[in-house]
Amino acid sequence: MLKLTYLQQWKVRSKTDNQRILTTLIILVALFAIAAILSRGVFLKPSNLLNLVFQNAILGVVSLGQFLVIITAGIDLSVGSLVGLSTVLLMVFQFAGLAGALVMTLVVPLVLGLINGFFVSLRRLPAFVVTLAMMLFAYSLAQVISGGAGVYSGLNGAPLSPALVAFNKQVIFGIPYPAIVWIAALLGVSLYLRLSLGHFTYAVGGNELAAFLSGIPVVTVRLLAYILSALYASIGGILAVARVGEGHPASGQPYLLDSIAAVTIGGANLAGGEGSVIGTLMGVIILGTINNIMNLLNISPMMQPAVKGIVILLAVYINSRKKRG
Amino acid sequence: MRNKASARRLAQRLNPYSAWIVLLVLVAYGAFGVRNFLSQMNLSAILYQYSIIGLLALGQFLVILTAGIDLSQGSVVALTSITAALVMTRYNVWLGIACGLLLATSMGAISGLLVSRTSMPPFLVTLGMMGVARGLAMQIANARPVPVYNDSFIAFGSSSLLGIPVSTYIWVGVALLCLFFLTRRPLGRYVYAVGSSEENCRLSGIKVPSVKLTVYVLSALLTAVGGVIWTSRLGSGSPVGGVNYELESIAAVVVGGGSLFGGKGRIDGVMAGVLIFGLINSILNLSGISPFWQGMIKGLIVLLAVALSQLRTRGGDKEEGEPANA
Repeated sequence: MLKLTYLQQWKVRSKTDNQRILTTLIILVALFAIAAILSRGVFLKPSNLLNLVFQNAILGVVSLGQFLVIITAGIDLSVGSLVGLSTVLLMVFQFAGLAGALVMTLVVPLVLGLINGFFVSLRRLPAFVVTLAMMLFAYSLAQVISGGAGVYSGLNGAPLSPALVAFNKQVIFGIPYPAIVWIAALLGVSLYLRLSLGHFTYAVGGNELAAFLSGIPVVTVRLLAYILSALYASIGGILAVARVGEGHPASGQPYLLDSIAAVTIGGANLAGGEGSVIGTLMGVIILGTINNIMNLLNISPMMQPAVKGIVILLAVYINSRKKRG
Repeated sequence: MRNKASARRLAQRLNPYSAWIVLLVLVAYGAFGVRNFLSQMNLSAILYQYSIIGLLALGQFLVILTAGIDLSQGSVVALTSITAALVMTRYNVWLGIACGLLLATSMGAISGLLVSRTSMPPFLVTLGMMGVARGLAMQIANARPVPVYNDSFIAFGSSSLLGIPVSTYIWVGVALLCLFFLTRRPLGRYVYAVGSSEENCRLSGIKVPSVKLTVYVLSALLTAVGGVIWTSRLGSGSPVGGVNYELESIAAVVVGGGSLFGGKGRIDGVMAGVLIFGLINSILNLSGISPFWQGMIKGLIVLLAVALSQLRTRGGDKEEGEPANA
């Protein structure tokens, strides 16, 4: 049997990744074309495109964390609950001033992400179940803190910091702030994957035993993926508060399945080791475009889950055909 | 040294029953520590609710045995219930039930075909089908619940025989059928085999695609049976019902000793897994614990149960490809 060195494996893998990125790009361009035609050009207006980026910044950031976990052959079912928990925490912590609130909001999910990572990487429990338990736990924690309802002010009645309220309306060079956070998150993950530790993420997901035998710190790499996923979910929660000015335990629910869908539409393999940051970005935009088109075309909200389901099936079908080629 | 070895042997012997042990502990705690736990009303309330999840879990178990997963169950419950309720109010009860089962089964057949004939991962196929089934249910029902006016159908859901709900008999009956299928029929044996090693099955001439198709169809069918009972309990078809039922059934299978990587687990373990969740719910409610806290406790219990079940695989056969430092 032909044995590949780690470097060779990586080259082969990146080739299929490149193919997938191309396929995803074609799907994206096709969707844009369909959207432009169906909406008679309204879709391509800069205001609508900006809106697209603006509306999907939260999903974009959350998906990046999900992406890191998925390439380690794991899955993070707790991201939705962590987004919800972060929105609640950010509101409750308003008494500490903006900076204090932000720091404290990031710390709690980080600890929960660490717990996820601990059980998955050190105790070797299945990621699906560990993060399912965390999903229940974090949602329940958010409910206990918020009393199950929306939170509109800090513990001492402090209102939401005006800086955060204004955050959504500000732009640099025409780019809205949430989009800038998204871009920063994209750069962060790309950079992480180029660092020596992050670089190993693919190896761990591709073939854990080989990675372990090559001296790659498998446990640390896994642990970091779950911590980063929680961190990104938390940033997503902060963006959500800036957008709606409310903390709610259930506000993160849609991001769980959407983030997994975005990552896989972007060409990542749930079995690990395959996927790309740029693909994930396109996956998010594809999902966002579908939502955008459905609203532009006045498709009833009742049919929207079905349309989305069919598009997910199509995108995954197109991308999966290349897998064993 | 010898002590350690014999402790491990004992642990191994008890392994297949770890879910039942957890269940026994819960029953003991409920009986002695929680008021009204052993009352007829409470026990049958648990059975009414969890026989439905139990049917879903049996279907989920078949799929999980092949290393697949069925995320569409909750939506299929809603689709079945809407279809059955609509046809029932216009024509007759039996036709309604038949239509519900048929539509659900065809959704399962689509999932099964996509999983077995293409290389699409089950997680995503059934995620897509989850959206499709939900959208379809909403569209058919115009996003409104459909009341059922047939008294005998509604009575069926809350009827009992010898103090035990009829739905529980159905659940146990279906479980016995599944047991027979999995242990006595060639196709059922293949279900375990496919989950253990798909490649070996293919090389041994087992028709892997048809095995996979079968489990997805069966999962949808059992889900639909659960959906019909659910409709009858509710007295109406609801397009928004059944949300997250798939997570409950997956959790029950895993707590009951199933492995998401396929090929592992037993029917009785799955049933114990379902009852564990039923008892936890009941104990938490009877103890007056706020629903807000319940998620945390359930999360911890899921984690504990899985940690326990993992302990046994590590004590017993070491899985291939497991790094030495694990």
